[in-house]
Amino acid sequence: MTNTLAPRAQARVLSARYWACTLGDWRTVLLLLAQAPFIGWLCTVVWGSVETDTPSLYFVLCLSAVWFGCVNACREVVKERAVLERERFFGLSLGAYVLSKVQVLAVIGLAQVLLLQVAVEWQLALRGHFLLQTLALWGASLGGTGLGLLVSAIAKTQERAVGAIPLLMLPQILFSEFAIPKEQFGTAVEWAERFMPVRWAYQVFTELAATETGWLDVGLAFVVLGVYAAVLGALVVAALIPRRET
Amino acid sequence: MKKLLLVLAMGGAVGATGYLGVAHFSGGAFPTFGLPLGGDLGWLRRTSLDFWEDIQFKDFARAATYHAADRQDDVDIAYLIERLFGVKPEMLDIMSYEIVLAEVDSTGLRARVKTRLKVKLLIKEIIKEREVMLFFHRETVDSPWYMELETSLRALESDPDKKH
Repeated sequence: MTNTLAPRAQARVLSARYWACTLGDWRTVLLLLAQAPFIGWLCTVVWGSVETDTPSLYFVLCLSAVWFGCVNACREVVKERAVLERERFFGLSLGAYVLSKVQVLAVIGLAQVLLLQVAVEWQLALRGHFLLQTLALWGASLGGTGLGLLVSAIAKTQERAVGAIPLLMLPQILFSEFAIPKEQFGTAVEWAERFMPVRWAYQVFTELAATETGWLDVGLAFVVLGVYAAVLGALVVAALIPRRET
Repeated sequence: MKKLLLVLAMGGAVGATGYLGVAHFSGGAFPTFGLPLGGDLGWLRRTSLDFWEDIQFKDFARAATYHAADRQDDVDIAYLIERLFGVKPEMLDIMSYEIVLAEVDSTGLRARVKTRLKVKLLIKEIIKEREVMLFFHRETVDSPWYMELETSLRALESDPDKKH
């Protein structure tokens, strides 16, 4: 019989190991972090010409946050599936494993959204409270991380996982008011839109920018983003349950 | 415990220094907590915020002091504000104000600061948002900046000597 650590202790050990692996590959971390201010700078180039923020800028920021989360996470399970399957024989808790991934990726995501915001605010002040916007973007990034981990848990190879990213990102745009006006949404589109993390983060931005902020809507959006990340985390665990030959 | 406190203190110090560095090099685009950071742009941002605070509290005499000394007596800020918002200053509540952007031109002698105001028209009980550009100038790069509020708010008058 093997002595196994409690899930919480496992999460600590796995998190420390994942941090060490992540920081060991510091070039990749730097690349992930550098894309955030670069996208922010591109935004200032575009919106600098109108010298003001617009709803489309908010949408691009929220979409970028989801993109960061997806890209950060999409290879993180599939690339070490063999290690994962081996460690499961020794009592590895899948919940602890997923939690360790989320812990590290959440910190990287937070750094990315902060860098993105700083790059934009450097040139152009956005309407609304900075920290609440950070929280909204972070929520979107966590949603993207959940989607990325889910793809990573299902995919058989890293290439397939990366190839699935457009399938996660395109619906964020298609099921939004930037594809067709909200008044023309059919029932299906309206429902699909509710499952897009971008939509809820965008709602925070638009409400904060409004002349009279609807705080209930802001609160609701934060709750939905939190629930969304939690449900995706549970789905990732569920997707990892079937053992896979590697 | 001591080690943890030391790490936390060092982390805090590095974070604070980094933040203030960002605030300075961005030209005061981020709050500087009263520290004179950001160079010319930082000064222009702080002055613009001070100006709107004076207007918010209807201290027009102090708001006029941002102009050149020889023009301070001529500047009728109350009138200019009335013309901008279409109501008398006492019927206007400036609820909040912020800087959208600030920039200095290539000569370093002219500057503009775009500000965003949220105001309430007290009679109609309507909340509006307006963006107002404040213009500044100075004689040389070492001279102090002066505001040109009239340039910012003045209604255009046609030049009778020119064809339109």
